[in-house]
Amino acid sequence: MVIQIILLCGLVIFSGLAILLRDLIKAALSLAVASLILGIIFFRLSAPYAGVFEISVVAGLITVLFVLTIALTKKGDEVAEARLVKMAFPIFLILFLIIDGLVMKSLLQKIPALPSGPEAGAFGDVLWKQRTFDLVAQIGVILAGVLAVLALFRKKEEDGDE
Amino acid sequence: MSNLWFLYIFFSALLIFIGLYCLLTMRNLIRLFIAVEVISKGVSLAIVATGAVKNNILLAQSLVITYIVVEVALVATALALIINIYKKNKSLDVRLLSRLKG
Repeated sequence: MVIQIILLCGLVIFSGLAILLRDLIKAALSLAVASLILGIIFFRLSAPYAGVFEISVVAGLITVLFVLTIALTKKGDEVAEARLVKMAFPIFLILFLIIDGLVMKSLLQKIPALPSGPEAGAFGDVLWKQRTFDLVAQIGVILAGVLAVLALFRKKEEDGDE
Repeated sequence: MSNLWFLYIFFSALLIFIGLYCLLTMRNLIRLFIAVEVISKGVSLAIVATGAVKNNILLAQSLVITYIVVEVALVATALALIINIYKKNKSLDVRLLSRLKG
């Protein structure tokens, strides 16, 4: 229990740093560390496949994408954030902590969640046989993302006269 | 087990709050997408924790994997958009986007 609380606190601290740090590269790296911690939490919750995806894809690929974008937009970190925003953050955070602690426990008993009960079969059976349509949707989403990036980076067509 | 569920959902709500606060108050486009990432971490933590507590971890894992794939496609498209906006405006200030002419 203690290790879980430490991991969760680390996750929140690094996520907060990702938002509050002034340097965008450092912010992206602390986001990667937060993903790494989330991956470890998934492993501890006996969800190894989700943990592997979280560490390899989110902590790896998305961080690379973020660093690449930050490098391509060098002057981007000159955007001035309002000072009041960072100063007011701890106050709002403490307020939310109090509300979260008071309300969440009673909410959890009312919100319907995943059906409980022991599962049969292996992870492969659930992913490939029960959630087959999800895989089709994933292929569609990946294709849509690739086409969107291609469309956004296409060059202007030159006039045919020349 | 209920206490464990409460702990995880408490922290995932905290992550979602941090992301929403950044989305509502900050101006840098890249930072806004970092906030979207933080929110998505909170959501995936909530899904896996609920699955683990309710003995339904296999279904929760498959949902989270689908969610991560959607997240990657979203981030790739959004960062491509950000680069295009930077090329046009020479700035990442989100307030400049309100000056678009249709």
